[in-house]
Amino acid sequence: MDEIVAEYIRRTVLKIPRNEIKSMLQKWGFLSEAQLQTINFHQIKDNVSQEVVRLCEENSADIKQAAVLDIIYNHMYANKRMWSVYQMEKTGEEPEIFDLQTFKKKFKRRLLSALENVTINFREYEDNAIWIRVAWGTPYTKPNQYKPSYVVYHSQTPYVFISTSVLKSNLPLLCQALLVASNYHDIREMELRSHSLNSLKDIVFKRYSQNFQSHCPRAIQERSGEPEYVDVRIVQENRSEKERIQRVTREVFGDGPQPQLEFAQYKV
Amino acid sequence: GVFSHLEMLEAQAHEAGRKEEEKKQQEEKLASLKERVEELRIQRDKLQAKVDLQKKRLSGKERIVSDAAEPSAGAVLEWKIRSLKGMLQLFYLTGISGKLTKQGVCFSISTAYESTYLDSYYLDLLTKPVVRIHRHSVPVFIPLEQIARRYLQTDIRRFLSVLSDHLNAYAGRKYQADQLQEHFSDQLEGRLQRNSLCNLLAFNYKVPSGGKTFPFSARLIYKDICGSLPTEVMVSCTVKAPERLEETAAAHSELFRHMALHKAFCTFSSTEEKLD
Repeated sequence: MDEIVAEYIRRTVLKIPRNEIKSMLQKWGFLSEAQLQTINFHQIKDNVSQEVVRLCEENSADIKQAAVLDIIYNHMYANKRMWSVYQMEKTGEEPEIFDLQTFKKKFKRRLLSALENVTINFREYEDNAIWIRVAWGTPYTKPNQYKPSYVVYHSQTPYVFISTSVLKSNLPLLCQALLVASNYHDIREMELRSHSLNSLKDIVFKRYSQNFQSHCPRAIQERSGEPEYVDVRIVQENRSEKERIQRVTREVFGDGPQPQLEFAQYKV
Repeated sequence: GVFSHLEMLEAQAHEAGRKEEEKKQQEEKLASLKERVEELRIQRDKLQAKVDLQKKRLSGKERIVSDAAEPSAGAVLEWKIRSLKGMLQLFYLTGISGKLTKQGVCFSISTAYESTYLDSYYLDLLTKPVVRIHRHSVPVFIPLEQIARRYLQTDIRRFLSVLSDHLNAYAGRKYQADQLQEHFSDQLEGRLQRNSLCNLLAFNYKVPSGGKTFPFSARLIYKDICGSLPTEVMVSCTVKAPERLEETAAAHSELFRHMALHKAFCTFSSTEEKLD
């Protein structure tokens, strides 16, 4: 097994909190259950990671498999990264028959034709999210596995979530590959950025529960039963403003958990 | 000490203030309800007077004429009930219902697949100055803008009907794929490949035959996104297999073309049991 791969696996395992290591390795599925049983997960992480590397050597892990472990880690700890949202446009109106295999092939082909030294990995999740990990190299150097770009794409939607990597110069190439693979013709960055990937998804996919009027309204959960009897001598200065804000928020986002707002920027 | 005494006094004052406020609010409520009762009593008396007057008029006129000229309150009521029942039946059958809002209309489209109720989707429409969509809960991969561009301004019924077709078909396809994953995961090999619209499904599954199991692969394409049955099906055995299995593949292909996916799986697990 390559030294680079060994070191990469060792460092990836070190990032994982100790009580999550076993379950993450199980999700990875590269080491057998029998092999996992031989690891003592209660010792210090340094030793745990050394043992994992040793077992990976037994199974001759290569960089592709190591990259999958990295995707699994980043999927679980997506909040550690900063995500930007991009919107794509297309001309045709034909409903698309999205084929995952075709998407992957086109994406890889576009990238590889421009840059030979890249590591590309895909992983699909139950909610139709496709995670793409790309490690970038140059025409003369091997890909840097420690600064990969991440893309999360839900098929047949115009939105792409990209985790901004340090190497901004690779962004145009990444965008091009996405357009070719997904059959869109234009892409632009939206004014939406956050650490919370789920909040971004909630906003663009409108997954928050909105309040709609209908003939059979679903039972709105009673807000803490007792009406508040406030001493009238205490007057809240901005009470009407507060109520207005609450009402508008409730109207738009509903009663469920709200998307997390990290920062707001106003452009005049 | 003094401080705790002050705190206690403050708490007492607050409590007393609260109780007084409570009492005042209840009294106000009671007064307004009494007023309302009075209003309703006056209204009732007025209506009663009207009914009495009506009765007198009817008994005074010729029977035949009065029956033809003035529909009785009973008949009007019956007509209203019938048309209401008709409307409710329409809503029940189409799954589309609407409610007037301050600025327009809010429609709800319910989806169902073969007697199972699925999700409902909502559209909040503004009607002035032109009809347009204010908010909605339609998933982003349903071509709502396209459908709205074509029909919203000119024929709102058609708009709702086309959108309902899209949503119901999507809900039906999704339901079949979910059911397959939930109930037949032991027959599936690996992941079920699907997409957001559920208009392409690809999976590998095991077919038992003569004591052994053979790996089959299936690919279902739903070109018509208003349909919940595939337009193209390809089933094949992934290894070199005896000829009778080619027939099985063809049979499965036919089944998938014409029957809900999870029901198709039901039928071949039961036929296998019969054969064994």
